[in-house]
Amino acid sequence: MNSLAIVFESIIIGLLVGFGVSAGAARMFHAPTVQGLGAFRSLGELNACEDDPVAHFSFGLGFLFNAWASVVGAGALTGDVDHRIVPHWSAAILLIRNRKVEETMYNPKKMAIAGAAVGAVVVTFLNFTASAIPAGLQTIASGVIVPAANWLLNPIMPLVFWTAAMDAGKRTGIWATILGGFAHLVMGNAVPGLVLGILIGKGLDDSGWNRVTKSITIAVVLLFIFSGFFRAFDVALLHSLNIGIPQGLIDLHAFFGTVVE
Amino acid sequence: MGNVDIQAADTAKRGFWFSEWAFTLFVACVASGTFAGTHLYYVYGVGAFNDIAIVSLLKAGIEGGGYGAAAAFGASFLFARVLEGPLVGILDVGGSIQTGVGIGIPAMLLGAGLTAPLQNFPLSLATGALIGFLIGFLIITIRKFTIKSAQSTYGADVMMGAGNAAGRYLGPLLIISAIMASIPVGIGATLMAAVFYYFKKPIAGGAIIGAMIMGIFFPIAPPQ
Repeated sequence: MNSLAIVFESIIIGLLVGFGVSAGAARMFHAPTVQGLGAFRSLGELNACEDDPVAHFSFGLGFLFNAWASVVGAGALTGDVDHRIVPHWSAAILLIRNRKVEETMYNPKKMAIAGAAVGAVVVTFLNFTASAIPAGLQTIASGVIVPAANWLLNPIMPLVFWTAAMDAGKRTGIWATILGGFAHLVMGNAVPGLVLGILIGKGLDDSGWNRVTKSITIAVVLLFIFSGFFRAFDVALLHSLNIGIPQGLIDLHAFFGTVVE
Repeated sequence: MGNVDIQAADTAKRGFWFSEWAFTLFVACVASGTFAGTHLYYVYGVGAFNDIAIVSLLKAGIEGGGYGAAAAFGASFLFARVLEGPLVGILDVGGSIQTGVGIGIPAMLLGAGLTAPLQNFPLSLATGALIGFLIGFLIITIRKFTIKSAQSTYGADVMMGAGNAAGRYLGPLLIISAIMASIPVGIGATLMAAVFYYFKKPIAGGAIIGAMIMGIFFPIAPPQ
């Protein structure tokens, strides 16, 4: 029953995603006069296959193996389904019959139709095989992936984002360090703070204090205040400083439905 | 010959498939499918349109660890990419839709206690389509009005670089994790990762497949 639902939903999902991604990829060849959808990386890779259907097909196939392992183990299709497999296979199908890219890969209508078909097949294949795989195999996959993904979440991602922020200029480094530290205190992971620090720091580097950067900064400060309050960080902080909790604060927390001591 | 080609190309660029509205439609389609993919992941544990590293941010929230990381990560990416898209002429699918609509917005909804859009398939399609339509509409509006005012990409390149760099750690981490699970599984992961590396494929895939092949013959205990 579950498998049937997964197949049915995957077909619809694949049709929609494939249709949009391949049409958007075709439009990339007409950017910036026409707004495209994809990535510069994908545009370069599509060009690199030099109109050869076999090259496009095998490029996509290489990433299919990785996507399959990833969806079997962790349920994640990888970004490569949208970025690489679907656009490259859509292009390959069209180029078999007509090697002129202007009439095939650059044409959003033809790419959309081919993409919908490819998307439905690829997404359904990946999701169905992942769900149909024996439970024992899935146990092994998740037994290996869960610890690795947890390490990646903490501390690898905070480390990588932190160093990237520090390498991106003094202003970005300071914002990211402060917000990253507070995010680890309040939210339990530094990554959101680091990302917001990069956002603010680079925004200020490029355009200074204007209406947009001011609004972002205020929104970020509010985000920290609210998430600190709703995760009872204020109470935990007072506790660890050996300061008594005022009755008013306890009442305030109780008003929003959290019980604190 | 050149003139004729340019004219032909210009004529081809009019019409529905090259219009701004078609762009909105395409974004809505991809967003709808991607959001529904996250629904599939939420309900059945398969089908999220993103890399393991980023999906595990959302997973941490689903398992009770808080949605803050996934929500802030996804929302920042979406914001940066939507501003960048109209400037450069290509909207980044990975940052805006896969991470923003597929991870960030679901994390915000779940964090606020709204589970219905992720539990119900038709509702997830409709929610994603609506979000995608709004994103597409916002981008064509920015294209029309403020070509010269917003010149910052808000560090999207820094975030993207860090995201890709963090993803590279996954392969070695998977091999270490496999070795800690058991000796045969570790050997399988190591060798298959080397084979994948030789053929210039991401070694994370090789490590998982190698671990599973050896795991068929030498089962390991389920994770705690």
